[in-house]
Amino acid sequence: MQIDLNNRDPVYIQVIRYFKEQIATGMFEPGQEIPSRRELANRIKINPNTAQRAYKEMEEQGLIYTERNLPSRITKDEQILGAVREELIVEAVESFVTSIRSINVPVEEVLDLVQKKYEKESNE
Amino acid sequence: MIEVKDIKKKFGRKKVLNGVSFTANKGEITCLIGINGVGKTTILNAIMALTPLNKGEILINGEKINKHSFEKVTFIPDAITMLPQMTIADAMQFMQDFYEGWNQERATELLGFFKLEETEKIASLSKGNAAKINLLLGLALDVDFLLMDEPFSGIDIFSREQIAEVFTSHLVEGRGVIITTHEVHDIEHLIDKVVLLDNGVVLKEFNSEEVRENEGKSVVDVMREVYHK
Amino acid sequence: MNRYLKLVNFELGRFIKVYLVLIAITIIVQVTGIIVKANDYLAQADKAIYEELMPQSQFIEQYGQMSFLNFARSLWFMGPIALCAAALAFYIFLIWYRDWFGKNTFIYRLLMIPTARINVFFAKATSIFLMVLGLVSVQLILLPLESTILKWVVPTDFRVDLALSEIIKFDYLTILVPQSFIEFILYYGAGFIVVSVLFTAILFERSYKWKGILMGIGYTLLSIVIFAMPVLLMIVFNQDYLYPLEMLAVETFLGIVVLAASIWISDFLLKKKVTV
Repeated sequence: MQIDLNNRDPVYIQVIRYFKEQIATGMFEPGQEIPSRRELANRIKINPNTAQRAYKEMEEQGLIYTERNLPSRITKDEQILGAVREELIVEAVESFVTSIRSINVPVEEVLDLVQKKYEKESNE
Repeated sequence: MIEVKDIKKKFGRKKVLNGVSFTANKGEITCLIGINGVGKTTILNAIMALTPLNKGEILINGEKINKHSFEKVTFIPDAITMLPQMTIADAMQFMQDFYEGWNQERATELLGFFKLEETEKIASLSKGNAAKINLLLGLALDVDFLLMDEPFSGIDIFSREQIAEVFTSHLVEGRGVIITTHEVHDIEHLIDKVVLLDNGVVLKEFNSEEVRENEGKSVVDVMREVYHK
Repeated sequence: MNRYLKLVNFELGRFIKVYLVLIAITIIVQVTGIIVKANDYLAQADKAIYEELMPQSQFIEQYGQMSFLNFARSLWFMGPIALCAAALAFYIFLIWYRDWFGKNTFIYRLLMIPTARINVFFAKATSIFLMVLGLVSVQLILLPLESTILKWVVPTDFRVDLALSEIIKFDYLTILVPQSFIEFILYYGAGFIVVSVLFTAILFERSYKWKGILMGIGYTLLSIVIFAMPVLLMIVFNQDYLYPLEMLAVETFLGIVVLAASIWISDFLLKKKVTV
């Protein structure tokens, strides 16, 4: 588990984002057991209270669930899992569009470049 | 809760603390930040009644410090305070002899975690290892509060990492920690609360995660604003 | 109470090596001394009797018989006692200052022990007291031993045998080895008071630094004045107000006052004023 934390965003939000990325890329599978709050804090060297807050938030969003005293798990709810993927894609595209718009490039040219770049990287 | 209320302290004519107030809660890591010589150590000494104050008071769980307080709050100074001729085992025995709250099991666990041998002499410990033993002697006490004076200063990076790891472990779980530092970078993500000191007063007291969330600022950003305005 | 005893044990342990060396020096020097002194005397006798052909009776008349006191008045005997006394007197200060100025600042540990801080004071005072008693005991064991050595070396005709009870009446030994329980209480009680006053002076210095030195000296002088008050008054008015027994009672009372004041002030300083 490796998170590059920045100093300006709330740590709990960075943790949640990390979980979402892992879910979207399939690194965390539905129903998979996740580290305890303390383990997480210890592994990525963050304050345990912050880890607690991130888990609480993720529970409220339905990303993870905890049954009684058992370890927390990634949700099995397909709808939520799908939404996570969608959310990340939309976010990425949005930030891409914002930066590309600032250099004033026609959308066709951009899409063409995107396609070429994508193919090239897949072949490598 | 440790409440520091308007404490003042002069060394000769120099006002080192000129009305400092803040609180530190159980279950939180409170970090006192300030350049060297702003009286951070004096504050910790004052909490332990190791130096008299000119004014103000300090309450530990609502009580003024008394002999029983030393079972509830412990101080880890910036250098080891056990006698050089003692072995680590002697030092631990000393703690066991005098403190009801000494937890031998945890001490042994920490010794293993730091990879140190009981038979080593205090005098022959490297700076980093002395810092670890210093920390061990405090952490193995079942106390509500731990005060640590510059636990990261002057030691190698690996010792620093090991010590940082302690903060996120069960060893400090549920306890209140007050830590002083002049270099916050290493522990920015570990602390709950920040108290910025300068010229004997508290310039700002804030929760680091709240500042990130509400103002999009890092602890260092806030320090820059406060110290360079 | 429990922590006090552990502290006493701890304080004794910290000085034990030096203490054992002091005992060893005392034994070695005194035993060597008695042999040297006895041989000197015999050599003198040999010279007088065999070289100068002086009759034995005349030699004894002229030089006296050898007794334990010949030895007890020599540096061989008094030297080690003076050394031990000086070492312990020095240690009254060192026992505190080493905690602040030693390699690691141990006073932190002592002041953070969950017990009344005055116990640190009591433990240190008790240690000094016990170490004095220990050295006196060693001396008491050595006396008959040295007496015996004297008997081995010097023939009967040339010596006067003194019983232990006679030896300990020899001037300063009467203070080190009190003849009665009352005397023991008086001498060692006075010693304990002196140690307490000096400890208080040290704590003044540790609490107020430069100003504290003056306060410490002032406190010591004040204690002396209080203690010497009855004697001073009698000298000033040139009159004996009190019978010796009354004097003893007054001095005991004043001693207790000084001791109580020292303990009370030290307790206050340790709790409220002392600085690491």
